[in-house]
Amino acid sequence: MTTTMNSESSNNSNTPSTAPVMTSSKQPLQTAKTVDTQSVLKRLQSELMALMMSGDSGISAFPEEDNIFCWKGTITGSKDTVFEGTEYKLSLSFPTDYPFKAPKVKFETGCFHPNVDVYGNICLDILQDKWSSAYDVRTILLSIQSLLGEPNTSSPLNTQAASLWGNQEEYRKMVEKLYKPSS
Amino acid sequence: MHSDSIATNASNMPMASSNAKDFAKKKRMNRSAKLKQWKLDARREQWLSQVGIDTVKNKGRKEESTGRGIDGPLTQVGRRVRAMEKLEIRSRGEEENDGGSIHHDSDSKSPLNSPMSHTGSVLGGNDSGTNFTGSSSSSRSSSSSSSGGCCSGSMSEEDEDGEDGCLDDWEAVADALAATDEKQQLHANSLDTASEDKNVARFDSQPVSSIDISKAKPGAGASVDRTSVNCRAWRPDDAFRPQSLPNLSKQYSFPMNSDRHYACGASVWVCKNAASTPKPCPICYEDLDFTDSSFLPCSCGFRLCLFCHKRILEEDGRCPGCRKQYNYDPVEGEATLDGGSLIYRLTRSCSMITRS
Repeated sequence: MTTTMNSESSNNSNTPSTAPVMTSSKQPLQTAKTVDTQSVLKRLQSELMALMMSGDSGISAFPEEDNIFCWKGTITGSKDTVFEGTEYKLSLSFPTDYPFKAPKVKFETGCFHPNVDVYGNICLDILQDKWSSAYDVRTILLSIQSLLGEPNTSSPLNTQAASLWGNQEEYRKMVEKLYKPSS
Repeated sequence: MHSDSIATNASNMPMASSNAKDFAKKKRMNRSAKLKQWKLDARREQWLSQVGIDTVKNKGRKEESTGRGIDGPLTQVGRRVRAMEKLEIRSRGEEENDGGSIHHDSDSKSPLNSPMSHTGSVLGGNDSGTNFTGSSSSSRSSSSSSSGGCCSGSMSEEDEDGEDGCLDDWEAVADALAATDEKQQLHANSLDTASEDKNVARFDSQPVSSIDISKAKPGAGASVDRTSVNCRAWRPDDAFRPQSLPNLSKQYSFPMNSDRHYACGASVWVCKNAASTPKPCPICYEDLDFTDSSFLPCSCGFRLCLFCHKRILEEDGRCPGCRKQYNYDPVEGEATLDGGSLIYRLTRSCSMITRS
């Protein structure tokens, strides 16, 4: 039943590229709250379409193969920052009560950044207490992209990075040294 | 079966007929039964003979064929009648098609087919709207064979002399045309091939003048809509690049039936509507309905649908736009006045719903 509903909603949102993803998805979480997950699906599908139509440079995201509740995103370092020329993969996992609860966003690619720990956890207020349901994937990724260039060194997760931030040349070297682009 | 009943009646007669009335009734019944029997026999004979004839004629066709043979033409006639009705209902589209095709044929020798067929048929459509009876296809078929081609020719001719005069006196022109058919057709062909630009210009000016006249006719509504839409679409081009007008008219000339023209207009209309469609809720992406779009829960101006608003009130109750706490509406004030019980009851029932 859920799969048929999925196909319908994907047709409604006019996203042919996402349709196979939706129809082939087997989400065990959905069965619990059908109505809620339907609205979450609609929201995520609309977000995906908006993201693909927006054509923002430096950010992208797409659902994983079989689960629209798990996305893979990429952020490229902004120009004129120490992260210029680097690309970072992120994972976004959406709760079933999204967008009323924030998604869990993590760096998959190692990122030497004051507000990112070695596990890829991100300390960003909008992903925690400052989350608003008006945010979406696009604004999250843009926020993280801007966070790369403007870290909050007062409450760091990576103290080494925070202390090194003052010396941008050294920091740049460190970023290049530690940067391991995922294949 | 009937014979059986007769037999039983006959056998019962002497026993059951104790009084005369009963006997008479039985007799009557008997007679009627016999009558029925005769009729049945006659019908059977008829049927058998028919079958026999048919089988002889058709060499072993099935018996059902007789029924079909009788029914067939009738249903065909019915279909034809229905088709005629359809024709009459859809007379506008058909007429235009007729005009277009006929004119096209007449012009098929000339190299410039498409623009002329366009003007011819469009003019045909206008003709039906303005002066001819228009609603019946028969009148078209009688006149269109000539008028489809020659009217356009005469139009161009008359236009050069004076535009409004010819339109007002259209019926007279049509009569004259009917009289001098062949000459005019030849003339029209030559004229059409000679002046493509004139035709287009004429087409452009024609609908504007014909709208006033054809407004009285309900059937001409589609043409009015169509032409007005086309005119509007062309206007910028008309002002700045008059050279491009023939190209545009060529494009429009290919889908000649009025349905497609109408669809063209409809799509424009839909686009216009889509521009004014309500925004979706930024939270759930469902379209805001009238109640939602008139619902302004926060002074920051952040709009959302009532469902999402309720959902947020159930949780932290802060506006997604500005993160400020929603200052509760009179509903909330009332509830607190009544005492916490109402709120408590509501929240409890809500939680039950979500749990189940």
